[in-house]
Amino acid sequence: MSGSPAIVARDLVKEFVVSHSGANSLKTTILWFRRARVETLRVLDGVSFDIARGTCVAVIGKNGAGKSTLLALLAKVYRPTSGVIRAEGRIAPLLELGAGFHPDLTGLENVFFNGVILGLSRKEISRRIDRIVEFSEIGSSIDAPVRTYSSGMLARLGFAVAVHMDAEILLVDEVLSVGDLQFERKCIRRIEEFRESGGTIFFVSHHLDTVRKVADRCIWLKDGRIEADGDPAEVTALYEDRMGR
Amino acid sequence: MVAELKELWRFRELLWTMVEREIRIRYKNSVGGFLWSLINPLVTVLVMTVVFKYLVGNQTENFAAYILAAYLPYMFFQFAVMDAAQSILVSLPLLRKIYFPREILPLAIILSNFIHFVLALAVFFAYLLVVYLIHPGVWPFQITTLWLPVLLVVNLALAAGVGLAVAALNTFYEDVKYIVGVILYLMFFLSPIMYFSENVRYSSALQGPMGDLVYRLYHLNPIAALATAYRKVLLAPQAVYVEGRKVPPLPMDWGNFAVVSLICLAVLVGGYALFNRLKWRFVERP
Repeated sequence: MSGSPAIVARDLVKEFVVSHSGANSLKTTILWFRRARVETLRVLDGVSFDIARGTCVAVIGKNGAGKSTLLALLAKVYRPTSGVIRAEGRIAPLLELGAGFHPDLTGLENVFFNGVILGLSRKEISRRIDRIVEFSEIGSSIDAPVRTYSSGMLARLGFAVAVHMDAEILLVDEVLSVGDLQFERKCIRRIEEFRESGGTIFFVSHHLDTVRKVADRCIWLKDGRIEADGDPAEVTALYEDRMGR
Repeated sequence: MVAELKELWRFRELLWTMVEREIRIRYKNSVGGFLWSLINPLVTVLVMTVVFKYLVGNQTENFAAYILAAYLPYMFFQFAVMDAAQSILVSLPLLRKIYFPREILPLAIILSNFIHFVLALAVFFAYLLVVYLIHPGVWPFQITTLWLPVLLVVNLALAAGVGLAVAALNTFYEDVKYIVGVILYLMFFLSPIMYFSENVRYSSALQGPMGDLVYRLYHLNPIAALATAYRKVLLAPQAVYVEGRKVPPLPMDWGNFAVVSLICLAVLVGGYALFNRLKWRFVERP
């Protein structure tokens, strides 16, 4: 393990153009040409940090503070308006409930598809397929179309694929509520294994208890800027204090 | 653009997986999924044959084959473009979560339509063979059929270029697909699909230097040029009835086809460039 950080952000700025007319047809654009009101919204306003390998970082803050935008920038879904964000190694975003699953395909076919989208080759997936299926506890339903799955099964399958990616960085939006208590424990165990092997976790959460329990470091985002950054116990205490609790 | 292509190459496995997935979805829900999709062109050709042969009184032999040879490529182009138009919009939730080259979505749809088209061509040759066995006349395979791969490549380039551009624009302006639908409908009648290019060339309304110019411009339209090219390459030359007169078939105009190939290449490069300009804003659309 080298000393270089896993994630580097420097003066990260992200602006979105918000249109009030909601124009998304040529017709409206032409008809409303004069009245188009367009506004730029600065969601992230100069965010900088270094995250060392093997850290579990939690990002907290109010809705609209820029948490999810930060996660999306890290996943390369957005391009920063200015500044840089760089991650070393493969990133595995934990997909939301079955995002990227096609209802008519079987669980197995979807696992392959999901794995390839996350950057594995089919050979690599074949090698892990047994472990993924076992972890997901889906059993023989793996050969049934996923439209027959319950939401818990979908979430477990999605989680199983993401954690078997052998990625260096795991991105998690919102807390893991992927099923029963037993499966949640299994997920937490798996995440701990992942950290022990030097993996970095970057997660967004509103659950301060989870943050205190899991994270090594906590970043508080407020109006697109870092309000506090450091020990989870201190930052969450400050956050609760300021939120008037 | 070179960097974009390198990135696309790096993700080629995802592209193949998506093409495979599209085809699976297409044929999964019905055992005869592929056969069902052939019903539309077959019924159209049947109706056209009846109308032209018995109602209009066109005596061209084996008329159905000549319609199919031009209609199947047109169908491919139409479905590829219209399916690609929606490809980004339907996958927006996925795009908001994860990175991969965005062009993979429309390209996978266009390629799966292309594979479907090639399968339909196989059925087309089977049809020619059946006709031959019933009415032995002209052998179903011409020596010029060897040019088919060239036509397919040019056709694919055109579909990919237009499909990428339409997919990108339709993401921001959702009515683009309706406009494109109307243009495609016009193209259908502006191209020699239900009639022959000879009908345009020998039309009494289009004689003299003005007529020559109109014919040239008419065949610079890639869809028209491709329709004629498929006919000339896949089927035996055949005399055509124009306004009641029997006229000799025109030879394949390779000079024009070369120009059209360049146009298709330009469309591909232009469409991809437009897509790349817009692709980072897909997830930020208002």
